[in-house]
Amino acid sequence: MAVPGAHRLEAAGLSLWLLPGRAVWWPAAGTLFVADLHFGKAATFRRAGLAVPEGTTADNLARLTHLLGSTGAHQLVFLGDLLHARSGRGDALWRALGDWRGAHAAVRMVLVRGNHDRHAGDPPAALGVAMVEEPWAPLPSAPLLGCHHPHRVAGNLVLAGHLHPTVKVWGGARDSLRLPCFVHTDGQLLLPAFGAFTGSAPTRWPQDAQCFAIADERVLEVPAARRGV
Amino acid sequence: MTADGAPARSRAASPTPAQWMAARGWKPFAFQRKVWHALGAGRSGLLHATTGAGKTYAVWLGALARLAARRQDAAEAGADRAPPLTVLWLTPMRALAADTLRALMQPLPELAPTWTAGLRTGDTPSAQRGAQDRRLPTLLVTTPESLSLLLARADAHERLKSVRLVVVDEWHELMGNKRGVQAQLALARLSAWQPQLMVWGMSATLGNLEEALATLLPAPLLPRPDPVLVRGRVEKPMVVDVLLPARIERFAWAGHMGLSLLPQVVARLEAAATSLVFTNTRSQTERWYQALLEARPDWAGTLALHHGSLDAGVRTWVEAGLKAGTLRAVVCTSSLDLGVDFLPVEQVLQIGSPKGVARLLQRAGRSGHAPGRSARATLVPTHSLELLEAAAVRHAVAHGDIESRHTPRAPLDVLVQHLVTIALGGGFRPDELLAEVRRAPAYAELSDKAWQWALDFVRHGGDSLANYPDFRRVVPDEEGVWRMPDARLARRHRSNVGTIVSDAAMQVQYLKGTRLGSVEESFLTRLKPGDIFRFAGRLLALVRIENMTAWVRRAPAGAAALPRWNGGRLPISETLGHAMLEQLACAARGIYASPEMRCVRPLLALQAAWSALPTPGRLVAETLRTREGWHLFLYPFAGRVVHQGLAGLMAWRASHEMANTFSIAVNDYGLELLSARRIDWAALLPGMLGTEDTTVGALSEELLHSLNATEMARRRFRQIARVAGLIFQSHPGERRSNRQIQASASLYYDVFARYDPQNLLLAQARAELLSQELDATRLARTLAAMRAQTLTVCALERPTPLGLPLMVERFRERLSTENLGQRLLRMVQALEAAADGTAVPSAPPRANGRHKAAQ
Repeated sequence: MAVPGAHRLEAAGLSLWLLPGRAVWWPAAGTLFVADLHFGKAATFRRAGLAVPEGTTADNLARLTHLLGSTGAHQLVFLGDLLHARSGRGDALWRALGDWRGAHAAVRMVLVRGNHDRHAGDPPAALGVAMVEEPWAPLPSAPLLGCHHPHRVAGNLVLAGHLHPTVKVWGGARDSLRLPCFVHTDGQLLLPAFGAFTGSAPTRWPQDAQCFAIADERVLEVPAARRGV
Repeated sequence: MTADGAPARSRAASPTPAQWMAARGWKPFAFQRKVWHALGAGRSGLLHATTGAGKTYAVWLGALARLAARRQDAAEAGADRAPPLTVLWLTPMRALAADTLRALMQPLPELAPTWTAGLRTGDTPSAQRGAQDRRLPTLLVTTPESLSLLLARADAHERLKSVRLVVVDEWHELMGNKRGVQAQLALARLSAWQPQLMVWGMSATLGNLEEALATLLPAPLLPRPDPVLVRGRVEKPMVVDVLLPARIERFAWAGHMGLSLLPQVVARLEAAATSLVFTNTRSQTERWYQALLEARPDWAGTLALHHGSLDAGVRTWVEAGLKAGTLRAVVCTSSLDLGVDFLPVEQVLQIGSPKGVARLLQRAGRSGHAPGRSARATLVPTHSLELLEAAAVRHAVAHGDIESRHTPRAPLDVLVQHLVTIALGGGFRPDELLAEVRRAPAYAELSDKAWQWALDFVRHGGDSLANYPDFRRVVPDEEGVWRMPDARLARRHRSNVGTIVSDAAMQVQYLKGTRLGSVEESFLTRLKPGDIFRFAGRLLALVRIENMTAWVRRAPAGAAALPRWNGGRLPISETLGHAMLEQLACAARGIYASPEMRCVRPLLALQAAWSALPTPGRLVAETLRTREGWHLFLYPFAGRVVHQGLAGLMAWRASHEMANTFSIAVNDYGLELLSARRIDWAALLPGMLGTEDTTVGALSEELLHSLNATEMARRRFRQIARVAGLIFQSHPGERRSNRQIQASASLYYDVFARYDPQNLLLAQARAELLSQELDATRLARTLAAMRAQTLTVCALERPTPLGLPLMVERFRERLSTENLGQRLLRMVQALEAAADGTAVPSAPPRANGRHKAAQ
């Protein structure tokens, strides 16, 4: 299958697609990876008296639906931080997630617990999301590990989230743009945060890291010379 | 009498202000008597004068005569307590508050023996604050932020209704920004509780003093005597002179740090006991401090530097040294602009462009406080074109052309913060509060729609409850009084009152522990461990960055990076830009009246020979073909901010004619557009300057389209989100860095833009972007002025003295410093050779002739 605007990445003998929808698609395993959704974050903020408009949860789910549809994935892996905080849990959220889950009953879903999940607690069992700890191997035969925290495991490609990577792209003449990105270094592939209400911190990526920015529904590699902090 | 203590009792009748002064051998000035008289009649007013002219005593002695004398009877009748809070004295800087209090306490034993006096700022220790919580002193010196905090107390009305007079010191510093708006809202509230409230402002000289007065005073609830505008003592004679280089460079550029006048600066410093050396940027401060020490190592210990990024301890030490006279000179930025009454020096030097007339006057006012001495500012140009600026600013000072300042109009973020403050401070009924808020001049024209939106924002989160489920911040109680019931939110609000937003900064600290100050993270995160940079007058090597702290150690000599702080890019004022064009007009007629104009003559003569001199009546455009492409240079002299907008606009308009991409460069004098494809600017320009009926509104729309407006508005949103209480600064004990707040501000911007695009805070960000960052009204005026000018288009063979600095600005974006230096050196050598070849002004190459711009 081909997703418009996607970038194919060959690593550790595997063939992966970096999708402009902030996800990694692994066709050989029929598996889609996303990281850092932070469901319930906006509700957490509102309960603390900070005005964040509604719509981010529905947005996240709609984009997931779109990705599942365009790839035909039969497994969806959340690389940590599915839920933002304990105070973000609530019936409205479970209802929205439950309805969405019901529409994708055939898809197996796995959550690799992240730091936020530990504090927020597991989602209700009724959602049918398998809980695992990092590092987690989707296919024992393939050298690919699903994680939340970036780290290296010799001989494997680690897919991780946690950092919410972005890259600043210089356009010249004082013009620059900060874009969410994938970062590929030896043995490690970082995913951008999927959540519609997630922030990021400016980071200087190593010279030898490959940065793939998401710009206008396309994944483009940003050479080190065009990157800023 | 003692601070915050029991009043010293005295039964003697109080002397009058004049008697009190006479006892010290002082004679009141006419303006002081005028202020006393006005205060005696219960009038409000604005007193403006240069610094050190006795403004404080004018207002303070008059206030005591009016407010303390009446209470004498009560005190003598045996009331055993000091009068309640009567005078609020607002000062813009915490650091000045203690000095102010000391000065104000002097006359109290004789003129108001029953009065107490105290200080309340963010620095006030909690024990002292606790004592004030039981009872406020009769005189309270405080800041706009601390006053807002008092208004957020549930018993605010009870404690503040007795205030009879509010004095706002350095009003010129506050009136143009949101802190001033905050003060206006507080004044509107105080005057509702005390309809006879008197308000006095003290200000340096501004171009629009009537407006400054009108902005200070809340609209009256009851008829009140007319306010007065009092001009202080005839200004100290002001001497502005210029250090002239022995020879000038015909090709010179801004930022080329220009230490060539160092020997002359050293000689000036030798000749005076105390000096202030003002620069425009913190990095320039570091550079000059270092250069002076290298020139005179024996001055170590008597030379200091002072800028806003240094640790408070360092700054306090420097200020104390200046006061005690142990320092010969301090190299400083605008961090020493204020507090002028307390740190007089013999002379003031200004390195580089003063940027504006009022700014130079303010700085010069730091010198010559002794009777009979003149205030003296010496301008030190850092490149040849600053000689022209110096001539212009000198002329403007002599003719009293001074810039104006204006209050922000109805900023919603400040209003939202105020609503929460008042909800905490006893609660409010919307109709009553609306009437009160509209009495603050900044909100006189607040629309019903904006008001309703602000109410909805604090109650529902947005204009519809459905969009913001679970949200609550301020809610009406059963009686319809809006309050903030959540103690946690109340605590957060109290620790975030204010409108000052600092850039994300990191502490710089020695490994062994001493703190040096803070530097913007954007600079530090670009350094690698081991990199050397100059800060706080020292060479430092970065060891590591950890927990928002840059750990450093002393570095041996080496090539050092200079931190580039934001904010060093203040544009020249409109007043100064006009004055420069006037000077050029004289030069165009062959009149070189001042020494600095004679000094810069070779540069101007070459400019005239190769191209033409811009004047108030002539807009000069230059076209040039190089290997890089097709250049257009244009010189409106409207300041870099306006030029940035103008260049974006022209590139946008030119792209309509023909698809093209442009590189843009700007400085304070002009702009450059570089395009890959040829453009017939001579034919295009008249049309591109637009038609006369272009409104500011239409222009604004076009500007927003032509620039990277979303990104700029997103950056602008940081302050708005902070003031409106969406993001907050760290509480003690919390590990929450400014960086996370910054990220959240742009995140807020994005979620609003996407899920609540009607949110008026977004509209405010765009409006502030246009009014403050792009200065759309000034841009519209500039365009109108350009249309009225005769357009002269010159086709060049090589860049002119005015054009080269713009090319340099553009290179700077792309090249490392080392490459830049070498490349520029080669260019300048080639240009100098060409200039020597055509030293005799020949007929300038004007292939395109002269064009009259379309009207």
